[in-house]
Amino acid sequence: MNTAVSDPLATEQHPELSALQTGHPDFADLYAEHSQAIYYLALRLLSDPHRAEDATHDVFLRAFRSYDRFRGDSSPRTWLYRIAINHCRNLQQSWNQRHLVTNADDAIWESTPSQADSPLRALESKELGQRIQKTLDALPDEYRLLLLLIADQELTYQQIAALTDQSPDAVRGKLHRARKAFAVHFQQFS
Amino acid sequence: MKKHELKSQQQKQETEQQAAQQASHTQAELEFASVEELLRHDARQNLVPPQVSDRLEQSLKDTPIPPPLPWWKRILGP
Repeated sequence: MNTAVSDPLATEQHPELSALQTGHPDFADLYAEHSQAIYYLALRLLSDPHRAEDATHDVFLRAFRSYDRFRGDSSPRTWLYRIAINHCRNLQQSWNQRHLVTNADDAIWESTPSQADSPLRALESKELGQRIQKTLDALPDEYRLLLLLIADQELTYQQIAALTDQSPDAVRGKLHRARKAFAVHFQQFS
Repeated sequence: MKKHELKSQQQKQETEQQAAQQASHTQAELEFASVEELLRHDARQNLVPPQVSDRLEQSLKDTPIPPPLPWWKRILGP
């Protein structure tokens, strides 16, 4: 089970975000608390900082429009993630129609010696972000999404399962393969 | 004697240089115990650009605040 831990990227590092004037005071707090997580998800799903900015803007605008309908059945974080995932999927579909992407095959990772349990080493540099992006881009969409969600310490396996419409056990199994696939590709792109 | 001193000084310099190179290499190398840890590090390097909140604020100004839902819709859903 993943323990919920407060997000180190929340408000205190972004004092300017709390200045957002919305007429809905709670909404400014919502933005300050969750915008970093939504932006990072969009950045790594869409592989483009400008599109990630647009997506973050659009996700929060949608959230604002339906804020009164948010009944608190899920946490605000998962509610926003759901909007973000759907939004990014829509964008990717239209994007992929023009830029066909072939996903790598599970068999390649299975036949490669396991490196999932070894530590990942990298030199601190501007290229590290590009290397991470390349690695994520080489994975099937589902693996990429699961890894990005599990990296958020505020989410539990149950919440990830609900967000991706599958059981927590299925999430655990796929994450095991996703970590292995990531390690293999990360090594290749060194 | 002098030759010996020069040689040992040169050796010392070389050792120091190697140590410095090694130190800078170790400092720059990062190690992550898991993919999650690596991604969290990456997230900290990619903060939301401040212009997003500016744009959002502008868009929200143009968006009327939706009227609150009646209590029965809040309970039963829209």
